[in-house]
Amino acid sequence: MHSKRITQCGISNLRSYSFKLLLGFVIVALSSTLSSAQNRSTITGTVTDASDGSPLPAVNVVVKGTTVGTATSIDGTYSLSVPSDADSLQFSFLGYVTQTVAIDGRSMIDIMLQPSVEFLEDIVVVGYGAQDEKEITSSVATIGEADFNKGNVNNASELLQGKVPGLSIYNKGGDPNSTPTIRLRGISTVGDNTEPLVVIDGVIGASLDNVDPSDIASINVLKDGSAAAIYGSRGSSGVILVTTKKGEYAAGQNASENIEVTYNGYVSAATVQNRPNVMTADEYIQAGGNDLGSRTDWQDEVTRTGMSNVHNISVAGGTQSTIYRVSTNVREINGILQNSGFNQINARANISHRAFDNRLNVTLNLSATKRESSYSFAEALRYAVLYNPTAPIYFDNGDYYQAILFDNFNPVAIVEQNINDGTSKNMNFNIQGDFSITDQWSVNANFGQQFNSFLNGEFYPSTSFFRGLNENGLAARSTGEDKFTLFETYTTYRTDFGDFDITGTAGYSFQEEENEGFNLTMGNLPTDLLGYHGIRNSGDINVGGTANVRVGSYASPQERIIAYFGRVNLNWKDAVFFNASLRQEGSTKLGEDNKWGLFPALGLGTDVTSFIGNDLFTQLKVRLGYGVTGALPSSSGLSKTIYGYSFSGTGSFDAVSEANPDLKWEEKAETNLGIDFGLMDDKLTGSVDVYTRNITDFILSVAIPATESVSGATSQYQNVGELKTNGLEISLNYLALQNEDMQWNTGLTFSTYKTTLEKFIAAEQMRANLGSPGQNSTSMIRVAEGEEIGQIWGPVFESVDTDGSPIMKDINGDGQLIVGQGDALADDGDFTQLGNGIPDFELGWTNTFNYQNWSLDAFFRGAFGHSLVNTFRAFYEPIDPGAINSYNRVKSDKSVDGLTVAQFSSLYVEKADFVKLDNVTLSYTFDVNENNPFKNIRVYGNIQNAFTLTNYSGIDPEPVFQDYGPIDNGGRPAATPDVLSPGIDRRYNYFTARTFTFGINLEF
Amino acid sequence: MKYLLRITLLSLLVGVSCTDLDENLRGDLAEDPGAPNNPGFGISENVNGSIPNDGLNAAYSRVLSGTAWHGSYFSVSEISTDEAVITQKGGDWFDGGIWLNMHRHDFLPTNPGLNGAWNDTYGGVTEANTLLASGTLDANQTAQLRVLRAFFYWKLMDLFGRIKIVTTPGVDAPQVDRPVVFQWIVDEINASIPDLATSNGYSRVNVYVAHALLSRLYLNAEVYTRPYPYVAGTGNATDPNGDNYYQLAIDHADIIINSGVYDLADNFDDVFGPKNVESIEHIFVAPFDEKTGGGMNFAQMTLHYPSQLTWDLAEQPWNGYSSLEEFYNSYDDNDLRKEAFFIAGPQTDQPDGSGNPILDVAFDKADPDGAPINYTPEINELAPNGSRQAGVRLGKFSFKLRQQNDMDNDYTLLRYAEVLMNKAEATARLNDNWSHPTTISLMNMVRARAGASAYTTLTEDEFIAERGREFFQESLRRTDLIRFDRWGDAWWEKSAHNNAYKNVMPIPLDQINATTDGSLTQHTDY
Repeated sequence: MHSKRITQCGISNLRSYSFKLLLGFVIVALSSTLSSAQNRSTITGTVTDASDGSPLPAVNVVVKGTTVGTATSIDGTYSLSVPSDADSLQFSFLGYVTQTVAIDGRSMIDIMLQPSVEFLEDIVVVGYGAQDEKEITSSVATIGEADFNKGNVNNASELLQGKVPGLSIYNKGGDPNSTPTIRLRGISTVGDNTEPLVVIDGVIGASLDNVDPSDIASINVLKDGSAAAIYGSRGSSGVILVTTKKGEYAAGQNASENIEVTYNGYVSAATVQNRPNVMTADEYIQAGGNDLGSRTDWQDEVTRTGMSNVHNISVAGGTQSTIYRVSTNVREINGILQNSGFNQINARANISHRAFDNRLNVTLNLSATKRESSYSFAEALRYAVLYNPTAPIYFDNGDYYQAILFDNFNPVAIVEQNINDGTSKNMNFNIQGDFSITDQWSVNANFGQQFNSFLNGEFYPSTSFFRGLNENGLAARSTGEDKFTLFETYTTYRTDFGDFDITGTAGYSFQEEENEGFNLTMGNLPTDLLGYHGIRNSGDINVGGTANVRVGSYASPQERIIAYFGRVNLNWKDAVFFNASLRQEGSTKLGEDNKWGLFPALGLGTDVTSFIGNDLFTQLKVRLGYGVTGALPSSSGLSKTIYGYSFSGTGSFDAVSEANPDLKWEEKAETNLGIDFGLMDDKLTGSVDVYTRNITDFILSVAIPATESVSGATSQYQNVGELKTNGLEISLNYLALQNEDMQWNTGLTFSTYKTTLEKFIAAEQMRANLGSPGQNSTSMIRVAEGEEIGQIWGPVFESVDTDGSPIMKDINGDGQLIVGQGDALADDGDFTQLGNGIPDFELGWTNTFNYQNWSLDAFFRGAFGHSLVNTFRAFYEPIDPGAINSYNRVKSDKSVDGLTVAQFSSLYVEKADFVKLDNVTLSYTFDVNENNPFKNIRVYGNIQNAFTLTNYSGIDPEPVFQDYGPIDNGGRPAATPDVLSPGIDRRYNYFTARTFTFGINLEF
Repeated sequence: MKYLLRITLLSLLVGVSCTDLDENLRGDLAEDPGAPNNPGFGISENVNGSIPNDGLNAAYSRVLSGTAWHGSYFSVSEISTDEAVITQKGGDWFDGGIWLNMHRHDFLPTNPGLNGAWNDTYGGVTEANTLLASGTLDANQTAQLRVLRAFFYWKLMDLFGRIKIVTTPGVDAPQVDRPVVFQWIVDEINASIPDLATSNGYSRVNVYVAHALLSRLYLNAEVYTRPYPYVAGTGNATDPNGDNYYQLAIDHADIIINSGVYDLADNFDDVFGPKNVESIEHIFVAPFDEKTGGGMNFAQMTLHYPSQLTWDLAEQPWNGYSSLEEFYNSYDDNDLRKEAFFIAGPQTDQPDGSGNPILDVAFDKADPDGAPINYTPEINELAPNGSRQAGVRLGKFSFKLRQQNDMDNDYTLLRYAEVLMNKAEATARLNDNWSHPTTISLMNMVRARAGASAYTTLTEDEFIAERGREFFQESLRRTDLIRFDRWGDAWWEKSAHNNAYKNVMPIPLDQINATTDGSLTQHTDY
């Protein structure tokens, strides 16, 4: 039997007892019926777990060298009729060391099986199944609950920040309603599909928003192509597999005893960690600013200490046939900006039941989340930076002070007068069935659905200068919903040929997504009293067709992905491992003739220590993987000519996008070479991965010359461009100290990569406009074919002219200064690379100290070699005698005396290397004796963002991987970010928060 | 039991294998529905005129694109001349130096305004081509669209010189020299005239639009027919039939004058104001409308921020465009156009100048006017520290109270005054006499409406100055200065040059890059 290599989707908490049980049903059912009735004696006995004495059901009991055998029953007992010539019995059970016992004429044999430690620790969930870690030939990182980031974590991805080399997770600033940007090994496409695929309990494409961080048991990250290829199209940006906590069955206990109740709760306080350094009122007046008579610290006025509290209660347990876990989570989160935060309630239930002699296992996962958010207005932070420090908050008559200037609004009025909130609801369920047809052959089916909906509202009263004043009040509502359906089924067969163990998997996948929604904005409200609910009274309705009514609506088609896949795993003597997989996948989104793509993968691994006995290495595994994955754009209809309606004149339908029936899959081919090693009895373990990835045919909207357009549209979606990334990742873990009282475990992650743009729509291009005031048509990022992405590009500041304008450097030394933006790419232009938006390397350093009942976790994180454009400085640092009366000045040690004209140059591009103490936790676990109603009591204190060491003068030195473009004067940012323009720290980026948390974990 | 389950599961595996990948769009149109079911949002209770429901709107609405908005045809046509400027106001309006370059005649193929002009105008060509290829048009409609397309090609030829003449959607054409484009445009219009009606409704091409456009084309023929490097013409050039271009310009102007259909309007508000619909002077307009014809936002482009209060504008203006002092001063004080076309002097919270002064609380301390807004003709400097309040503002297409971003005024593309001035100029050139009686009398008609004194003799200098005064803000100044060979002259903060290649703008770099087969090339010297 090679039952160890059973693969099952949806099995997750692999150390748990439930796993032992689940896999225990691979019994030799057929063989037991084959025994004849001659010269027999009967042997009975009980099989128990050597670690805790609990009875073990479903253990294989076989007469050695024959097919005669049985399995233990639920209470661990067995009864086997054996031939008289039988001399020994073999007891085997997945996850335990197989034991062979001589019969020696006994009729009763009790056995204690030792858990196989290696096995329990080393199984890893991969796509459509789980694998023994040693068999894995690709780059897969597993992070368990113990290693998660702690403190006030509201998004599952933040649990992983800095823990996985190559996985960059950045959430700039402290906005509780924003979700982090996630990049695995840099960008994998310049199109839409830039973030990793999320799979929760086997449901692909699930949303991280619908799983509470408290309910997560472990997260696996499939980093390279050979692992992700089984997910085909959607695996290009990597795959994050989330496994939620499950109930357990503790053998020997009845259902009412076998119940575990836990409570985890914390309160936290978020404070402003860093904010732009601006002139005080006195400095401002000194520098020539108008003294309006008041003294206001605007940044103080719009921020606060955000108090949050979070509670999680779970009940878990089970019987021999059913295990369950139900939990509920309540989050009341308040951000550092006035009126920002959310209230969320989430409930989850995971239930598994076994039937038909334990051959069938059915699992139901249910989760529902409701979040009520108050988004507030991040713009208030920006205006708090630049607002006149001598301006009062209110006029004498009690109205908010306002000045009629460009891009200038009283920040207190913005957050206090206006409303920006919304409710989102998220529900999903999935039902999985796993059936063992024989002990070698199993079938699995999974059906799931996910529903999301939102209803948002914005209200600007008739007195709001920010928005609403000139429209006599403004109300907006928007709503939308999204439905996702998944059906997948696969079958697995295991067998062996001589020294080869073979596992084959084949399956089918069907995914369908649909979304629709609309929004409405209207002005001319007769009263401000009803907020956005007053939209029904809008005077715009009667006027009809006035420009104040803004309506949007969208509805996607049924977006389908259909796939067939297969995989073969070979294991030669537990020393050499080989995987091959193939997925054929089709999408509705692609051109008529190119809907289907083929995604192959190969992997080879070997454990060198099994060939060469070596005292130094306890483990030395070499892995080589190659895989092709795909990527899809987020929107539909890209391969067709799309017509839009224009109200101009009598109205007309115009083509907005030209058809491209040849539109095909984006593809990424990735090769990964990795080494996993263990030294000094595994005190030092680690892995090193090097990879190269080629991304081709990414889908972009390309301008087509008017002279070549058939429909009249001037753009078309095309497969253009190629990216190439080479990278290196190292992770090390060292048990530095261990004795009875004390333990120190430390780990390091290191990652570096370089991405070059091999092919693009233009040989060379400038992107990322700096914006108003005065710096439109000022592009800061250069991309060029054959060169690295992330180049910050501009003139080099040299000195100040007598008129206060900057004098740039004659870079090419030709005696003439050509620094107008129109010449940014000209041969004689004096422009150069001023920095790179992408870090040279990123580091994470974990430390866990245990001393008796105390435990201290300290996690440091850093990124090095990247630069940021400090846009606050680029606009508001030079002391412009005109502008100073419109905007306060930011201060830094990099300012230049006498410079009055704000104009983009090297002066505002800063190195942003940093190291921060990202997360530090001190916890104490109380000793509990048997009489205590609590099984476990732990209290802890945590600080997130404790301190940052950097020379960057802006708010936050974290890299910025994508750019939402400039906004000004009450405008709104772009809907989709530009991933080719990293490195721009925009004025709307949030202040950073430092969060203090006190929490308690109780287990009953 | 066992087998039953096996079969069930296996059939599940095979049976549900859906493979349907058709993309059935719900929220978007993948086919052209043609004309809308319920046309005429532009017709009913609207200050806009009654745009005919003729199924040609897709092409006609493109005359709005880039015509009166920042960053396209209007901007490059105006900022490159001596009648309008965008100064750098400290940290404001530097914008990478692109408008300073435009003012100084450092024309760069990377200027986004040039690319905007190219795209907006070719967009009109493509829509006209699509309708012309539909095969559903009658002879009059076909003729309308050919002239409309010729109008778009005139803009492209006038601005860029060597372009591609595409006449079928999706069928590329070679880039040809300017004289070839000129002749093609003229031939298209002439061929269409027999099929054109004398009226096709508001904002549509009629036979007089064709004649007025021909008059403009022939007047500029000497410029348009000069091959690179555009050295000065020999005068008295003739078309392929041997007809003198200036005589042709006169002949086509005369057809309009003699028709009696058009006249000079009594006042400028009828021609340029927010309610200037179907003025007697309008031959061809871009029918801007705040609801159904977006794309004119002069209020935003030119006014200083606090002027928002004067007209209760829906959104704050940008403090960008102003006119040049010398140009403004070329008007006599008693010339009614000076008041009608500009916003000058101290500003208050009422458009008529009553009420309270409006303030720039962030005024430049060096500004002698202090906080109260005063649009002075004098501008201290182009860059880097242009005063925030300096420069008279562009007010010809005047603003209405509670103006939305999109203005209601129709933008004049061809009007009767131009026809008169075309004939006046062509007569002078044909006879080599700027004081020709016909020239003087036609010009005095135009001046009389402005309340300006009559001329008795004229010079070339006075003629070009008068054209400037009359057609300010109508995107004609660049064409006029080139025709009068004054494009290379020095004016405020712009030095003289004699680079004839600058008579056309460079082909936008984005267009060259987008053309993958290399069939679109840059002009020599750019």
